[in-house]
Formats: sequence, structure tokens, C-alpha cells
Amino acid sequence: MAELKEKKQRSGKLFWKREGFQGYLFMGPTLIGFPLLCAYPMIYSLYCAFCDWDGYNDPVFAGLKNFKYILMTDPVFPKSVKITLIYALINVPVTLILGMALAVLLNRNLKGIRIFRVIYYLPTIVPGIASIILWQFIFKSDVGMLNGFLTQLGLSPVGWLTDEKIVLFSLSLMKWWGVGGMMIVFLSGLQSVPADIYEAAELDGAGGWAKFRSITFPMVTPIVFLQLITGLIGCLQSFAEAQIMTAGDPNNASRFINYDIYETAFNSGRYGRASAEAWILFLIIMVLTVIVFRSSEQYVYYENE
Amino acid sequence: MGKKNKARAGLAIRYLLILIFAVPMVLPLMWMFTTALKDNGAVFKVPPQWIPDTFMWENFTTGLLQIDFWSRFRNTLFLAVIISIGQVLSCMSVGYALSRIKFKGKKLWFYLIIGSVMIPGMVTMIPIFRMWTAFGFYGTWWPMILPAFLGAPFQTFLARQFMSTLPKSYDDAARIDGANRLQVLVHIIAPMCKPLITVIAIQAFQGAWNDYLTPLLYVIARPEKWTLSLAVGRMSSSTYGTQWNLFMAADIIYLLPILIIFFLCQNYFMEGLGSMNNSGVK
Repeated sequence: MAELKEKKQRSGKLFWKREGFQGYLFMGPTLIGFPLLCAYPMIYSLYCAFCDWDGYNDPVFAGLKNFKYILMTDPVFPKSVKITLIYALINVPVTLILGMALAVLLNRNLKGIRIFRVIYYLPTIVPGIASIILWQFIFKSDVGMLNGFLTQLGLSPVGWLTDEKIVLFSLSLMKWWGVGGMMIVFLSGLQSVPADIYEAAELDGAGGWAKFRSITFPMVTPIVFLQLITGLIGCLQSFAEAQIMTAGDPNNASRFINYDIYETAFNSGRYGRASAEAWILFLIIMVLTVIVFRSSEQYVYYENE
Repeated sequence: MGKKNKARAGLAIRYLLILIFAVPMVLPLMWMFTTALKDNGAVFKVPPQWIPDTFMWENFTTGLLQIDFWSRFRNTLFLAVIISIGQVLSCMSVGYALSRIKFKGKKLWFYLIIGSVMIPGMVTMIPIFRMWTAFGFYGTWWPMILPAFLGAPFQTFLARQFMSTLPKSYDDAARIDGANRLQVLVHIIAPMCKPLITVIAIQAFQGAWNDYLTPLLYVIARPEKWTLSLAVGRMSSSTYGTQWNLFMAADIIYLLPILIIFFLCQNYFMEGLGSMNNSGVK
């Protein structure tokens, strides 16, 4: 009956009043935005990856030349890939664990806890550029804060941004400073866990760690999964740190893929080669995302299923 | 009794840990603040001073001048407000279509939107740069403003997820009373989406305030169109050399508006995002 009525309504309506057409009207922003800002640039960039292109004249098809160059001859790009992967593989787990640990720590209704939540969250409010400028000064080898501490403790100063072996760790330190964002997301997840589950577990004699392992962690696995993916994608696209703080130095030890692409395109004017690099970055992101998705089936727990 | 003591000890350890972890969170900010108050000589003292001998409050006025604050503040505020409005409008509209209206290809569009979240900006950046340049938008703000009105993928996804949790009975009732879909969206759905709208607006505002790469690409050659982020980011290559006290002062001035917004809308920063998480973002 209802179906019949709907059919009648549909055929009797003017086309702009039909549900299907109105759906497309409300979809308007995406209907324009997706082709313009996503589909077309993707296709064009894929084409350019196989071209010689200086950015002024039309791209000239050159086959696999760009890929051959960046993977076999280029002394810089493979290193960019390596250090970007190292940076992501260090930071994604560390920020996840740290964020969750801090959330568990602050997930109590104690006196003054709100103030601490704000304090932990505060670094996340500092705009990226502002914190980069701040940390650039903290890392200064002569007058910086960290080396100031070290000399006061009688230790020798460290070349935070000038030592090839340390620079990635330094940039990671800066990243961990902003772990409050992750903490807040976990905190909200923890607070949505019903208290009676814990009470039941306590009656069964479960201790702190047992409660965390069998209640808290399973309940926040959807958040872990989401943060794993966004964290990974974010880390693999680090840019401003390299551009402002280190210019990719020392000895390209902080030349993230994104910075290398930027330099190759906008400073060296090799847009074709830069497009090829960008596509390799995209492939890396896709492969890692698929791995995370696949492995997530084993630990992510959805309440509704 | 033993149990009570144990609980008390646990509480003390928890407070202690909370305090210990708070130190590295606060120190950099204090360092920024004290440096901003130092005179040129004190900045270069080894070992560094935590409390300067003389407080140079005028660094803040010099800092203002150094990044040409007022005109760049106007630029940034204008952009951030327009971009927030654009993202709220476009994401609400698309989110409404995806969660409430039946049309052909809806599923496909939903997956395209999710998929485009994953695409690294650098892949599309070069073609988009060429495209905006071909449109004559190089040296203007259009490359920053227009995309906001064309639906940011992640925020669109959030909007769709949030709206899917709202009961359909309200808008069905309004439809029967003769309201069209736009009226339903504006008068029925939007008022129920206040947390969503606030979160999208705050994220868009923060994003625009912090964005460095887009202004760097498009308006670097037009200093009168610079945003604060660009001015702050380019400080170290400016003629002022390495006057860290002034840099820090400018840094503070740059982050102050965001800080004020944070303290005004704290709940939406800290719990708004959280409530989004509970509403089906999995």
C-alpha cells in the first residue's frame, strides 16, 4: 500500500520536487568539488607522473622515466621514503600508547582534574607554525632550553636539529608534545564505557590491569583503529617541520617525502618527477591503510555487532 | 582498613604521575613566555635564564610590528570566518543528502567521499595549483575560500554520521505538514546539530588559522595578502635575523586568538569532539 502510494507520488510530481533530484541539489558542493578538487587532479597528476613537465609548457609523455629516476638514480628520494617511514613507525605507536595512557590516568573524577585536562590539551591548541617556531628555539644548540638543561646537569649539549642521528627523534619529541589531542579522544571513549561493567568486574575480583585488558581496551578499539589510520596518514604527510625547521637537513635526514615533492616541484620545477613521487607516497599510504584495515578485524570490537 | 590505605596510596601515585606528565606540557609554553620578555642580550645568555632580569613588555608591541600584525590579523580572521561558514554550509547540505534523501548513486558518492579523505594533499596539489593559476586565482584568496564551499570530505563524513543518528520522525512530521527539504534542514535538523556545527566550525577556523602551505603556495608574492601563519612562518628569513625574543612575542600574539576561542568554547574543543566519537564515528 505504502509502496503504491509512493509510486503514485513520484510519477505525479514535477521533476524538481522529486526526491532523487533534490538529493542531487543538496549534494551540490560535492558534485562540483569532487571532480574539480579530487578526480581531475588525480587523473592529471597520474598522467604527469609519466611525463616530462616543467610547469610552463605542456607535459610531454616520457614513459617510466620519472619512476626509474626516483627509484634507481635519485640519491634523495629513497632516503626520504626511508626516514618518513621510520618517523611514522616511531610516532604512530608512541602517540597512541601515550595518548591512551594519559587518558586512563586522567579518567577519574578527582579534584582539579579538569585543570590538568586543559593543561595536557593546551599544546594541541598552539597552531602548527607557532609550535614549530617555538621548538626551533627550544632545540637551538647554544641558547636553547634543552641544551640549557643539559649543561646545567653537567652533560654535553646535543645537536638536536643538526645531528643526523638525532633530528628525527627531536621532531618526534615535538610531536609527542601535542599528544593531548589523542588523549582527549580516548578520554571521551573511556567515559562512554558504562560504569556497571566495571562494577561487575570488580565483584568478580578483577584487578586494575585485568579491567583494562578485558573491558577498557576492547571498548576503545574502534578509536584505536580510527586514530591508527589518521595518525599514519598524518605522519606520512609531515611537511612544515622540515620546511621551516630543518630544510630537510642535516644530510637529508629530515627530508620528508612531502617536503621532497614540494622542493622537486616548486623549487626545481620538475613537476612530472614530483607527481611520480606523490603517487609513490599515495601507494605507500594505501598499502599501509589496507594492512591496518585487514589487521583491525582481529582486534576491533563493535558493540552493535 | 588496609584496602582504604591502598586506595589512598593509589590516588597519591595517580596525582604524582599527573603532575610529572604536566611538566613537559607546560615548560615549552613557559619558555616561550619568558623568552618573549627578555631583552636582546638575555636571550643569548648561557645557561639560559628562566626569569629575565628586566621584563621587556615592549617586545610585544615590537612583535606586533614585526609581523605587521593588524593587517594580517584582519586577513586571517576574514579567511577563517568565511572558510568556517563555507564548510558548515556545504557539509550540512551534503551530510543531509547522504543521511536523509534517497537518490541514485548515493552509496557510490559516500564511498568516494570517504576515499578522498585518504588521498594525500601533495598528489592533487600540483594539478590544483595549475588549475587555480589557469583560472587567474594565483595571488588571490580564492584557492583557500572556494574549496570550503565545495565540501571538505572528512567533515562531510562527520556530518553524515552525526545526522544518521538523529530520529527521522521529526523531519517526517514536518514533511507531512508541508515543509520542503530546505526548510526541514534549516528548521528541524540544524537545531539538533549544534554540537556538529560547532565542531565543524571550530575545526575549519583552526584549520584556516593554522594553514601554512596554501598561503605559501598562492600569496607568497603578495605580502598584503599574507596570513598570520605565513608571516610567523617567514619570520626567521626576514630582515630581523634571529631575534628570538621578538619571534616568541609574535608567536604568542599569533596563538592568542585561538587560545581565547579555546577558553570560550572549551567544552566543544574537549567534549564536543568526544560526543562526536560516541555518535557512531567508528
